[in-house]
Amino acid sequence: MNLINLQLIMFKIALILCTVSTAGYLFSLLVKRVRLAKISTWILAVAFGFLTINLLFALINSSLLINPGSRDFLSLCAWSVCAVYLALQFKTKTRVLGAFISPFILLFMIAATGETSGKSLLPQNMQNWLTAVHLFCVIMGEALFIIASCAGLMFIMQNSLLKNKRLSKMSMLLPSLSDLDRINHICLLWGFPILSVGIIAGAVFAGLSWQSGWLTDPKIIWTFAGWIIYGFLLHQRLAIGWKGYRMALISGVAFILLLLSYGSVRICFSTLHNFI
Amino acid sequence: MIVLTGLNHKTAPVAVREKIFAGCLEKKDLFPALMAINGVEEVLYLSTCNRVEIIASIGEDGLAIKELGNFLSRSGGLTQSEAAGCFYEYRGEEAVRHMFRVASSLDSMVMGEAQILGQVKDAYREALEKYATGVVLNRLMHCSFRAAKRVRSETAIAVNPVSISHAAVELAKKIFGSLDGKKILLIGAGEMAELTGTQLIERGAQSIIVANRSLVQAELLAEKFHGEAVALDALEKKLIEVDIVISSTGAPVFIVTADMLKKIHHQRKNRLLFLIDIAVPRDIEPAASALENVYLYNIDNLQDIVDENMHIRKKEAIKAEAIIDEEVTRYMNWQKELESVPTIVSLRNKAGEIVQAEMEKASGWMQNLDKEDQEKIDNLVNSVVNKVLHAPVTVLKEESSDISSRDIVAAVRRLFRLD
Repeated sequence: MNLINLQLIMFKIALILCTVSTAGYLFSLLVKRVRLAKISTWILAVAFGFLTINLLFALINSSLLINPGSRDFLSLCAWSVCAVYLALQFKTKTRVLGAFISPFILLFMIAATGETSGKSLLPQNMQNWLTAVHLFCVIMGEALFIIASCAGLMFIMQNSLLKNKRLSKMSMLLPSLSDLDRINHICLLWGFPILSVGIIAGAVFAGLSWQSGWLTDPKIIWTFAGWIIYGFLLHQRLAIGWKGYRMALISGVAFILLLLSYGSVRICFSTLHNFI
Repeated sequence: MIVLTGLNHKTAPVAVREKIFAGCLEKKDLFPALMAINGVEEVLYLSTCNRVEIIASIGEDGLAIKELGNFLSRSGGLTQSEAAGCFYEYRGEEAVRHMFRVASSLDSMVMGEAQILGQVKDAYREALEKYATGVVLNRLMHCSFRAAKRVRSETAIAVNPVSISHAAVELAKKIFGSLDGKKILLIGAGEMAELTGTQLIERGAQSIIVANRSLVQAELLAEKFHGEAVALDALEKKLIEVDIVISSTGAPVFIVTADMLKKIHHQRKNRLLFLIDIAVPRDIEPAASALENVYLYNIDNLQDIVDENMHIRKKEAIKAEAIIDEEVTRYMNWQKELESVPTIVSLRNKAGEIVQAEMEKASGWMQNLDKEDQEKIDNLVNSVVNKVLHAPVTVLKEESSDISSRDIVAAVRRLFRLD
């Protein structure tokens, strides 16, 4: 059996496990049992393992770094979100967060399934290590942003439950406000520098190879806007001392706005980043 | 026959309960005295702040139960009128059910509380040490522990807090996650505030500051917690430091106002603040609840949570009763089997099964023998088995009229693995 086939099998197993785990998470939210979320976390961890092997095979095929396939690229997106989430689980015991994040992971995985495996993502003239760094860092940064925002949305839910003086089952299930705020903090703290590195790498590459015109590319503007909001939030947190509700609210709203604008840019405009 | 007699918080006022409690506590020869009652074979004495009960295995006539009740009321020095109507008596299945319900905390004042199981276990241990229990009560107690464990793990009866201080602690956990390193401010030196403070400290809160109108009293309470005492004027400054505030003064006006909190909001660096106002009239301005990252609960809010949880517990109790039913049936089945006739039958059956199985195994080589020899072997085997069984079966039959046969029956069932 050749490596490509093996890689495909790994990917399929990861996809199945990821689906099971997402279903488990959502069901845990429905029946309000933390134990189910715990089991789902373990399943997701196994899925993550398979996904890692899948990506390692892609690396051995020496295509991932310089010339990633579309499927590998989307797998990498799923892997990044997954990695950040699982890493956070070591720091805070907030299993239920998975119910909000695993659907994103699954979406990336499903999108990856839709792509043919051999197809390369980048046009020939963009395949070099700068774009690789750019790609990886931007994905990682955005993944952290997704999780920061999910934690923010959960904070808003828990906050409104507590403000309405109801210690309901839902409120018992959701993590504590402090934990959610800490996740938001950690993700912003790591996400901003990583995204910055990614953007700089992209800018250096573009400056070298395209000279001009790229600054007004809609997707670049979109990413830049995200970066600014990110920076703004981090600044408010570190310098002004914003915490809790306001932080959660703004990261949640910003996330939804960015998601919408990304969707519309992708559908309506032709950009230099047409491949994603 | 298993019987249970005693009184609890539902049937007897505290004055009566404490008399009996003290009376029995003084008796050094409690178990010998109970065992000396005519007809009592095994006995267990359970006493908690809400109940005093005697569970016993007695002769089939069931007369000893009255004696046990009288023993209790004599121990407490109760008059006839005091004792009237206080005692309940359960026999057979009802007694078993009551015991299971007590151990599972379904009969407790606060349904679902965790202490009772420990108290029942202690009572059992004491009876064991005094050699007061035997086959029947040992099995009963183990079954009651199992029933209690099942109720705890299969229903949500003990999940949500049903006291004000527990509800406050639970809320604090939902806000702060871990209470490690959290600072608490007690305003007023009330008992309820003290209790809540104690529980928060037990769960990891770091320190307590007590603010009171009378500094002397504040110092008194602060000493208990190794905390700091301040006068009420220093309140605003202290509010900056703390994470949890419990207020219970008798002041007629708001002691903590929304403006005050707004002013220090920035100095607190927007940290989360949990305010618990258990004073009536209220100490903390209700408008504070609207402030960002401030969570204000007054006594009614906490009471609502407690009420709702109590409601949930009552719903869970229905599930628990079903589990108790199952366990009672299981126990009663076991007890029925303790009679000698079914044991003799199952002993014979078991032997018959073994003979049949072995004969079938041997049927291969026995085919070669002629019919006469086969029958001889058959007879030989059966007669050996019958001879072996003769003695135990005779003893079982002889003893069956006697109540002490249960020990022998239980032993036979165990030796021959009949259960």
